[in-house]
Amino acid sequence: MKSTKYSEKVLDHFRNPRNVGTLEGDDVAVGKVGNPTCGDIMEVYIRIDGEVITDAKFRTFGCGSAIATTSMTTEMVKGMSLDDAMKLTRQDVADELDGLPPIKMHCSNLAADALHEAIISFRKGRGEIVEEEEAPTEEGPACVVGQDEFLDKGVWKGVENPRNFKDQRTLILHSGDESVETAIKLTDQTDRVILLTPEKTVVTTPELEKRLEESNVKLLTESRLLEIRGEFEVEKVLIFNIDEDEEYELFVDAVVIIE
Amino acid sequence: MKEVYLDYQSAKPVDPRVIEGMSKYFSEAFGNPSALHHVGDVATDALEESRKSIAKFINADEDEIIFTSGATEAINMGIIGYALRNKKKGNHIIISEIEHISIHNIAKHLERLGFTVSKVPVGQYGKVNLRKLERRITDQTILISVGMASNEIGTIQPIKEVGELAAEKGIAFHTDAVAAEGLLPIDVRKNNINLMALSSNDLYGPRGVGVMYMQKKYRVNPIIIGGGQERGLRSGSEDITGIVGMRLAADIMQKEMKSEVKRFQGYRDRMIKQVLEEVPDSYLNGHPTDRLASNAHFRFDGIEGESILLSFKDLGISVSTGSACTSKTLEPSHTLIATGLLHEEAHGSLQLTTGRFNTDDDIDIVLEAVPKVVSRLRELSPIYKTK
Repeated sequence: MKSTKYSEKVLDHFRNPRNVGTLEGDDVAVGKVGNPTCGDIMEVYIRIDGEVITDAKFRTFGCGSAIATTSMTTEMVKGMSLDDAMKLTRQDVADELDGLPPIKMHCSNLAADALHEAIISFRKGRGEIVEEEEAPTEEGPACVVGQDEFLDKGVWKGVENPRNFKDQRTLILHSGDESVETAIKLTDQTDRVILLTPEKTVVTTPELEKRLEESNVKLLTESRLLEIRGEFEVEKVLIFNIDEDEEYELFVDAVVIIE
Repeated sequence: MKEVYLDYQSAKPVDPRVIEGMSKYFSEAFGNPSALHHVGDVATDALEESRKSIAKFINADEDEIIFTSGATEAINMGIIGYALRNKKKGNHIIISEIEHISIHNIAKHLERLGFTVSKVPVGQYGKVNLRKLERRITDQTILISVGMASNEIGTIQPIKEVGELAAEKGIAFHTDAVAAEGLLPIDVRKNNINLMALSSNDLYGPRGVGVMYMQKKYRVNPIIIGGGQERGLRSGSEDITGIVGMRLAADIMQKEMKSEVKRFQGYRDRMIKQVLEEVPDSYLNGHPTDRLASNAHFRFDGIEGESILLSFKDLGISVSTGSACTSKTLEPSHTLIATGLLHEEAHGSLQLTTGRFNTDDDIDIVLEAVPKVVSRLRELSPIYKTK
């Protein structure tokens, strides 16, 4: 079956998604699954009265089936008890949509998982489930593999002459306000400047934060640089996504590490 | 609802003039060129006339043209055939990171056969870096393959320079010309091209026909063995009807290309200007100027390509995307990744490629649809935040 060959019901939910949006309040729980790397993110919001789900909303970034399954899930759970909702499976959602192409069953049918996550977090909040203690986050390796090998071959300890970065895809490690300022300055030279930070946001001064937001700098948050790769000079980097616990390669020409 | 087709890079309709010219070869002039009787002679003439015509189209000699079942076969023959014939000279091959997927898969196949393959990176606009190419050449390198232009982002490669470098080092240069044919003039002599693949459909001819151009002294081993047609390089009774179709398509192209390309350029420049102006957080993929006249390739923050495609489908508009969700492997386009994009950025891409039968109306329709589709999908998206 072609990946775009969807049932009429799937197409209907894609064209006219039900319950788009978010919910707020003490009686609301949120579940979020997926990641942008794999191409789908789904957020399911449920309002709970006692043991019953009274309302549901969603937001989805993803393909047609991702949007349709989240829309259908929010339709199905309204009025459902929490116990029944916990039993709702991906297969139930797919069946209700008259099936999904096989290739889409796993990657784009995670709405039921998001729902379960919302219920579990709600029950944790009520103290029904004891929260497991989170393992302390491991500190990443202090030294980046290849950092010394590629010094002056695409790895820079600072930016003295911005012209060296003309049309270079440049990755800058966030290490303080100077690195933020450098990143913004380099956008005059190249369309591609990526600022990398292990934090959820780039922590800097309010003034720089505003300038950063208005600039063309691409932010890569919750990420760590593991390795610099290339034949003879910098060509790629290996990035670790902390949130997703995933590694991937990114093509760049220059890496700036201001210590 | 008017159907709008903006996916010419993936398939083209056959020009009606080509269909008309082909028709008698199905029933009247159906002979086998190998046969010595009159019916066979008619077929032989058609075959050899076609060979001449296509040779002229690329400034080659007629005995440098080998007909195949399509560009994929021509690429297999050009790369694998050349590598196997020359493995005593060396076992190293260089391709670019943004070659068509068929060349990446051929490279994997050659690695299994004991060859080593290096991939040369491209810059942020998709151009092969010549300095990095040169540094990858070793005394074992026998072949360099760099496509004339990217089939996805439309970036035109510096093939003249690549050809010169290869010639200087005594290495064979293969180019996949499929994305470029009909959009750029092709001159194998001027560009030092030794091996090249062409497809018939990309000239508005029938599918199932292609050409491998093989310069004298750059011989390949045949991939298909049989009755010895095409001087033993490509066995199997020649598809005279299809070959005539490709020839007719090439003849039309030779006459009309210049004005046609100018028209596509107008479409492209209008699409790029208007989309980037009207859609916030939209970007152009590929080179700002050195790009195929038919190609406009965008990405949009916060939305996903298959959803874009489906939305356009509902509006009767056929387009393409580099998103993983429409691919067989569920991996995003290797071309977009090679230009330095993150996976999430590659997912939100939209490829619009124009062709012979597009009109100004088509461009109006798609330009009206793009901002609407993008903003509707962004309203659904948890990762798009209005600035």
